[in-house]
Parts: sequence; structure tokens; C-alpha cells
Amino acid sequence: MAEKNKKGLNLKLYGVFAIIVVAVILGALTVFTFTARYTAFDPEKTAVAYVDTIVQTGDGYNACKNTLLSKDMKFGDFIRQNYINPVIYENYKPGDSTKGLKGLNDESLKGEKTLNDNGELEGKVIDAMYPFFVNLIESNGGFDAYDAIFTQYISELQKVRKDVFGDKFFNDEAFFTAFESNLAAYGESLTGTKDEYDANTGVQTKIASVGAYQEKYGEDYKIEVVSAGIAKAEGGTCVVNVNVLVNGQAEIENLPVTLQKIGRSWYVDNTSCDTAELYTFYK
Amino acid sequence: MSEKKRRYMKKSEIFTFGIGLFGVALLTGWMPDYTQTFFADFAFKGKGFDSSVISSQISAVFLAAGIIGAVIELVTGFLIDNTRTKLGKAKPWIGFGAVPMAIIAMLVFVAPDTKNQTLAIIWMYVIYSLYTAVGCAVERPAECFGALCSPDPSERSSAISIASFMKSVGQSGGMVVVLVVGIVMKAVMGQQQYKNAEAQGLDLIISTAVCALGFILFVMIFFMNNKERVPYTREKVSLKDAVKVVFTNKNLLMVSLTKLTGFGRGVYGTVSLYIAIYLLGSKDLKLALLLPMGIGTAVGTLLVNFVLKKFSTKQTYILFCVYGATSLAILYFVATGIGFRSALIIPFLILNFFCGLQHGNTNVTPNIMIADCVDEIEWKTGKRQEGLAYAGFGLFAKVASAFTKALGPWLLYTWSGYLVSTDANVAYAAQSDSTLNKFLMIYTIIPAAFVILQGVPILFYDMVGDKKERIVKELMIRRAAAADRDFDEPANDAD
Repeated sequence: MAEKNKKGLNLKLYGVFAIIVVAVILGALTVFTFTARYTAFDPEKTAVAYVDTIVQTGDGYNACKNTLLSKDMKFGDFIRQNYINPVIYENYKPGDSTKGLKGLNDESLKGEKTLNDNGELEGKVIDAMYPFFVNLIESNGGFDAYDAIFTQYISELQKVRKDVFGDKFFNDEAFFTAFESNLAAYGESLTGTKDEYDANTGVQTKIASVGAYQEKYGEDYKIEVVSAGIAKAEGGTCVVNVNVLVNGQAEIENLPVTLQKIGRSWYVDNTSCDTAELYTFYK
Repeated sequence: MSEKKRRYMKKSEIFTFGIGLFGVALLTGWMPDYTQTFFADFAFKGKGFDSSVISSQISAVFLAAGIIGAVIELVTGFLIDNTRTKLGKAKPWIGFGAVPMAIIAMLVFVAPDTKNQTLAIIWMYVIYSLYTAVGCAVERPAECFGALCSPDPSERSSAISIASFMKSVGQSGGMVVVLVVGIVMKAVMGQQQYKNAEAQGLDLIISTAVCALGFILFVMIFFMNNKERVPYTREKVSLKDAVKVVFTNKNLLMVSLTKLTGFGRGVYGTVSLYIAIYLLGSKDLKLALLLPMGIGTAVGTLLVNFVLKKFSTKQTYILFCVYGATSLAILYFVATGIGFRSALIIPFLILNFFCGLQHGNTNVTPNIMIADCVDEIEWKTGKRQEGLAYAGFGLFAKVASAFTKALGPWLLYTWSGYLVSTDANVAYAAQSDSTLNKFLMIYTIIPAAFVILQGVPILFYDMVGDKKERIVKELMIRRAAAADRDFDEPANDAD
């Protein structure tokens, strides 16, 4: 197999050398890119990512994915186990398996309207829930009181869904579809929207609107979140101060974000953070 | 005449040729789609760039890279034909080009940390064009190696068909890699941390590293074990003469023209999502729809090898075209006849498998025909031009692919009368029966018509039978005479 070329090139040696060189370069590039992009290895990056997710579109929900709530499981599973499953299944406790359990997500509970809906009735539910969603965010000062938000939202959603569909069917998809749609609409109320057209047919799918951020800071506003440094570090805990700049001017300064280190990753300690200001700074 | 047939290739070489093409396809199959996703969704996430500008620039990046690729295709072919080394003419390009190709492929996924949108766009153009250029300089010689691995056409055909099978498997290898990388990342990082990493495109970056590593490993196995066994000719070929070959050799032109006349074969891919949604009931069934066809293609690639033992390349090609068109027509009539009910999904998918078998032919037979054409060109002109022959075919394939990309959306969104949903809460609007029937036609009857059309140029192909046998024999005699002449200065290390 080893073939020595007449000029002296040993193909086997070259092949092995090429594989090793490329493997080392690929490994180095991967480690470099991973550490540069992955936020959880660095407390400042984690704190900035947490605050940035909230201020860009008022999305305290996805910001929770940087917090201790997500350290053991997907944030979606955290919501399922703690808020959705207890509603769907009788006597369900977080951590229980749902295998073999019968509850409100049983297919037999689907009425005619649920079975035949092409998205229109689901849309009605989403629209009906939006004012309730906005009120929840505003009255609770953001998502810090996530427990109250999820509990009250699911309770209201069940009622609204029953009114629209006429059955008591309920599953996790009903929650996530409605909640995430409301969240997206809430974000657009802040950022505004542009006219959008279907790329293939040219049909307009979204009409331009002016958001609250644009009204306050201008159409081409720019929000930046930067770390102001680590204020305190003790063992596996630290506090990072974060600044929020709009069009280069500081709107919020030294907002403290507490983090905990578990393994190699840093998580925002959501129980020690007050993010209410991030939902009102533009008002 | 009863002399025992000489085998030129070691058994392991047939396998390692396939391994090499598998490695090349693993990377080249991975790159275009996932690069597009990476550029659009992850490369500059959180940098505050205008997403509509970035999206339109990504299309332009791929268009520019396509044009560069077409030019590099011909240049590479010309350079291969003018390469004369102890290792051969194609092998050095593969072995020495693989290292920069693997590294540049990885660099495509290492976006600069910049907040300057113009710089970001320039980077996308430069890095992807560079990848395309280097990719052509490795992929093309790897493909034309089939014509160089053995002077015996039947041995060469077997090697090409096995390698084509490995290549078709390798093209989908990236999908498996990203799946496995995801599973490993979840296990190591935890569910939510994996989701956070995925949101930064880190799974794509790691998958690219794995594909690039697989690529270099498999290509080097090939490089260490395989030899070119057809001696190259010594005449210098001018660029003008070289390009002329592509368009003036009748048989080569006919094989290349199959790409153009059959360009609409691939429009089924455009409508497959809508077939899954409207006719099978769920967009999740798109994979289920394409999987049987993909398996059919892989099986078809192996099947062609057996058919080629009984029939000539011309007969095999035409046979598979007739079969392909018939199977698609049957699928259309069965689907319209019985209507679409969820209970009939399984028979529909089984028929998809049988429709997929024909694609094995288009993966294998043209490559064998081109190798035969290279023999014919050498016999006629005394010049052996594998590089240009495969590059010419590749060029026609690129033009045909551009036509397919234009025709597919036109058929789907204009001709079919497709109604787009204007309700934010309804993803896909209800369609008329006429539109649904046209969807089905785009999936079956229209590709069937192009399958027939792709067979038409082959009716004029004549590098088969006695002619082929005579040419191969005369070439053997000429090469033996040339080897005697060049005894003191062998052309390459061919056995």
C-alpha cells in the first residue's frame, strides 16, 4: 500500500501527515469558534445575552433559557412539567412520567371544530389572548414573576379555547402556539414591522407598522447591550453589571445580573435579578 | 481470443476509489445547503444587520460562486489535462488539494466578529468563492479518476458504478453527521444548553469539522492506495483546442446534452413539500416522501452495474429512461385514480421507491460513457483529455441545474395557480383541485417527459459494441508501442 514515488515522496507518510495536520487545524478552529460564540462559558457574555434578549424585543420568556430554570432540562420541558402537565393530567406532579396517562390531550376530546380547523379558529384564540398577555407582562413588571404569568395565562387560555372550539381538549401545543404568537406580537409592538412579501408569489404577508421603540428613538434606532464589568465574584457566584445603550446613549447603567457557575457553564440566577426596568425604559 | 482477462486494479482499489468519492461527497454534499443556513441565520446573529439585505446578498453570493465554479470547472479540466507527474494527472490534484479544501470549508463556518455589514458581505463572497474554486479543483479530478483507474472498460465500469454508489451515499452523509452531533451535544451539554448552542449554529460548526475530517481521512485512504493506470499522452493541449473537444466530439456532446434535455427531471424536488402538505396531509411527511426515493436511487445505482453486464451503456441508459418515465406515469395515474387518503400513503411511498431506481442510471452511466468518450478522443486525436471531458459534462450539469431552479418555482407558483396564505394564522391556504392536480403533475408527469427527453441525445451515441471494442484494442496496442518507445522515460507509474 505504501508507495514511494521515484522522487522520494512517501504517499503513506504524506497521507498520515495530512490527516494529522488537518485534524489539528480543524480541532483548533472548532474550539476557537465554540468558545468565541458560546455564551455560557463566560459570565459577562451570559449576562449580556440575558439582558439583550429582553431589551431587543421584550422577550423575557426566551431570556429564561440563560437562567437556572434551564440548567437541568429544556426550558420548554420545564414549563410542561410545572405548568402544563398539572393542568392536563389529574394528580400530576413535576417529574412524573406522562406515559400511559390520560388527560385533556386525549384525541377523543377533540370536537368537530378542533378536528376541522385550518388555523382560523386557532388564530381567534391567539388574538383573544393578546390583551391578556400584555396585561400580564405589564402588571408583573416583565417575566421575573414567571410562575404567576404561566399559571394565569394557561388558566385563561383554557377558558378562551373552550369558548372558541367548544371542547375541553388542551395540550402543550395549544399553549406554546398561543403564547409564542403573543410574545412575537408583543415584540413587534416594540420594534415595529416592515412590509413583507412572499418570496415566491410576491403576495404581501405583513403590513408595516411603527413600534414603541421607533416612536421614542427614531425609525433606525439601535439598541446595544454591553458588560460594564464584573462587580463581585465569590466562588461560583458573580455579579455582572450591564449597560443598555440606545443609539449610543446609555439608557440603563450598571444593571446588576447575578450568575452561578455549575460545571463549566454560567447561569443567570433569575431569583436574584430585577429586570422590570428593561420592560419600561422606553416609556 | 481465449486469453484470460487481465485485471489491472487491486480489489482494494475498487473499494478505496469508492471511499475517496464518498469522502469528497460527504463534504461537497454538506456545504451548499448548510452554508446558506449558516450565513442566513447564524454567522452574524445579534450584530444588528439588515436581514433583508443579508438574505438578498446570500442569493448573490451563491450566484457568483456558481459562475466562478463554472469557469474554474473548465480551467481545472484544462490544468488536469496538462498535468504530467509521476503520480499521474488527476491524483495530485486530489491528494494535495484536499488539505486546503478541508481547511477552507471549515473557515466558511468561522465568521468574522464584525459589526460592519459591508465587511461581513465581502467576507461571504470571498470565503464561499474560494471554497467553490478549491472544491472544483478537487471534486472534478476525483470524478475523472474513474477514466484513469483502468484501461479495461469493463473493469473501469465496475469501479465507476461502485464509486458512484458510495458517492450518492456520501452526499447525504452530512444529514447523519448533524443528527449524531446533535445527540452527542445533548448528552454532553444538557438539553437546554444544547438548544442555546444550536441557536448559535454551533452544531453546524462541529458537524462541518466532522465532515471535513471524514473528507480528509477518506480521500487520503484513496490517495495512498489508488493508482492511475492509463498513461497520459504527452502532447500539449491548448486551451482553445481543449474547450473545442467538449463541443465537437459527438458522443461527448450527446452525453453532456442529456443534462440539458433532461433538466426538468428535478422539478419534483420543488413541489415535494406541497405534495407532503396537501396530498399526504403533513409537511413532516416530506422526509418520508423523499426517503423511499433516495433509497431507490441508491439501490438503482447498484442495479445499473448488473444491467451493464448484460447491455451496452446506450441500451442501459435508454432502458432506464423508459422505465423511469413509465414508473412516474404509473405513480401519477395511481395517485389520481385512487385519490389521496391517509390509508394510501404507504402504497404511494412504495411507488416512490420504484421511481427512485431510475436515478441510479443518471448517477452512473454518463460517467462510464464519458470515460469511453475519452478513449474515443484519444483514439482520434492522440490526446487524452479526461479533465476537460468531465469538466464539460459538469458545466452542462451546472447550466441545467440553473434551468431547473428557474422552472421549478415557475411551475409551482405561477403555472399551478398556487394560492399563498395571507392570514397570519393559516400557514398554507386551501388550493383548488386543479392546483392539486398540477402539483401531482409537477411531481410525476412533467419529470417523466424530461426523463424521456434526456434519453433522446443518447439515441445518437455510438461508442458501443464493435466500435468501442475496436478502439479499446487499438489504444492498447498504441500504448504498448508508446511504452516501448518511452522505456527510458515512462509517462507515469501506470502498471
